[in-house]
Amino acid sequence: MIKVEQVVRDYQAGETVVKALKGVSLEIGDGEFVSIAGPSGSGKTTLLNLIGCIDALDSGEILIDGVKVTSMDKKEKTTYRRNNLGFIFQTYNLIPVLSAYENVSFVLSILNLPEAEIHQRTMAILREVGLQGMEDRRPSRLSGGQQQRIAIARALVKNPRIVLADEPTANLDSKTGQEILKLMKAMNEKYHTTFIFSTHDQMVMDFADRLILLHDGNIISDERRSV
Amino acid sequence: MKFIVELALKNLARYKRRTIITAIAIAVGLMMYIIVDSMLIGAEYESMRNLRWYETSSARILDSGYWENRMQLPLDKNIAQPYRIIEELRDEGFVGTPRTTFSADMILSSEDFGEEGNLPVLITAIDPRTDNDVFRFEDTLIEGRFLRPGEDAVVLGSWFAEDLGAKVGYWVTLVTRGNGGFYEAMDLQVVGIVNCPNPNVNRTLVMMPIDTAGDYLAMDGAATEINILLPDSKDANGYLVEIQSIIDQSDDNLAVYSWEALAKDYLAIAEAKRGGTGVILFLVFIIAAVGISNTMLMAIYERIRELGMMRALGMTDSAIHMAFIIEAGGIGLIGSIFGVIFGAFGNFFLVNYGINFGMIMRDMDMGYRIQSVLKGAWNPSAIIIAFLAGFILSMLVAWIPTRRALKMDIPACLRHQ
Ligand SMILES: Nc1ncnc2c1ncn2[C@@H]1O[C@H](COP(=O)(O)OP(=O)(O)OP(=O)(O)O)[C@@H](O)[C@H]1O
Ligand SMILES: [Mg+2]
Repeated sequence: MIKVEQVVRDYQAGETVVKALKGVSLEIGDGEFVSIAGPSGSGKTTLLNLIGCIDALDSGEILIDGVKVTSMDKKEKTTYRRNNLGFIFQTYNLIPVLSAYENVSFVLSILNLPEAEIHQRTMAILREVGLQGMEDRRPSRLSGGQQQRIAIARALVKNPRIVLADEPTANLDSKTGQEILKLMKAMNEKYHTTFIFSTHDQMVMDFADRLILLHDGNIISDERRSV
Repeated sequence: MKFIVELALKNLARYKRRTIITAIAIAVGLMMYIIVDSMLIGAEYESMRNLRWYETSSARILDSGYWENRMQLPLDKNIAQPYRIIEELRDEGFVGTPRTTFSADMILSSEDFGEEGNLPVLITAIDPRTDNDVFRFEDTLIEGRFLRPGEDAVVLGSWFAEDLGAKVGYWVTLVTRGNGGFYEAMDLQVVGIVNCPNPNVNRTLVMMPIDTAGDYLAMDGAATEINILLPDSKDANGYLVEIQSIIDQSDDNLAVYSWEALAKDYLAIAEAKRGGTGVILFLVFIIAAVGISNTMLMAIYERIRELGMMRALGMTDSAIHMAFIIEAGGIGLIGSIFGVIFGAFGNFFLVNYGINFGMIMRDMDMGYRIQSVLKGAWNPSAIIIAFLAGFILSMLVAWIPTRRALKMDIPACLRHQ
């Protein structure tokens, strides 16, 4: 359960202050498949970063399962992210020198899991995202869609509570983008993982169970939709 | 941890060209360090040897009054019966030879030299029969012949002869004050020219037979010094004590001085120079350090987004530090290994064949007592220092840019480029 309460985030851009979020409040329950949409500059990335504990808010509070993020220090945030959060990025952000397999397995390595378990879980998740047989390939030898599948596998392999995806399909063509969304949805249903993804693409919004619209740092609509 | 090491090694292997170029830069730096160090040690070693072979001998007996006024070269503060003492020394297994040193005006006649002239010179009067038991001038003869006892002759250092325009067969006149203060002039013929490997000597050397000089200067069999050759040994001081006790039996005023005491000024300069060369070596290291820090800066800069991703996924700062330090250490290790191999290889030639510096040393007084071929010396500690410094420094310089990258907040890392 994620609770966002009156969150304000200001950026200092030289002399001027940019109000990226102007007091945003919302609740996201476990296992939701939520899209945060809005035009460029509306504050989507800022909101995801705050929920993902990689940015600090200026006022308000975010509670994740009752824990205030403002009370966590840097180390606790790192530990929290390591154990509970998966990230999917617009630009995949894979490590070019590692194979598909290694790009996924390192997430488990930094959790200090036993080698056998790492292997078993990595192979299983790669199979699920449809990359069976491509384990040894470097990212540069895979298509954009395949690279984003690695990223999804990487986000999911540790079985996190929440996956945050900032415009995960923006670099993909619409057909591949849809496949990626379907995969995310399937994972959401299978593992009951909370997915929060941002977009400004109508097709992507249509995939969400719940659509939160941001505009200029404010939530202007929040609707649940039946699929 | 295993993942971190693997990641670092894969990055090393991935950016092969950059790894190789940086490693070569480090290797060249270390090679320079090893070779420069070897040359400096070689130069110093040879300087000290040439100092003993051509200037100071291993030890010298002087009248203590002479030692106190040694700048004035006082002929009256002499060793009255040098041969008796040399005899006594020989009985105890030491080799000695007498010398008398005095200053004079050398007058050049227009007949031989084309124009007249005179210049102050320092004359070393030697015993041609025994001088080469202690010094090494005979081996350095390049023209004419060596001195014979009792003749009115001089042998000149080749650079001095060249500066003068002197040739074998020319005559020179020396004017000096004898023992007692009277003026004396002697006409002497140049019979030989030596090329002494000690440039200081070769630039100024005028040698004549000690008995001839003794007659002119009214030394009455005395010499100003006895030079002694000591066997190569760690215990030079033991010898000095022994020699002192021998000479104490015949003359209270005599004392023996080690070559280190005689060459005190030179050794002080050498010491100062060692500090100076430390600066050179330090600079070599700075160059290597700048090279690798630049490389690591680039490596880190182009991976900032990757870094942001790893941090977002919960990798700790210390793990990221570790990854870059291992990567830099890997480059440093490769560079150090090659640096030591190249350095040892280059040094092998330097030690066995040397470099010919003859022409440079003549025109430039660098204070070193060496001429012509300079050979290096093996210095294991320099090689070990080079190796460790290359390796450790590489890791240290990776620390700073990594820390800077880790100070960026994660969203900034992820936005990068
Ligand atoms: N580091 C920063 N410094 C200054 N201003 C910033 C910074 N990050 C974001 N902003 C500003 O905050 C506002 C919200 O930015 P944010 O990145 O959250 O928008 P977004 O909805 O993700 O936009 P986009 O669709 O372009 O990614 C924008 O006006 C942006 O210019
Ligand atoms: Mg954004």
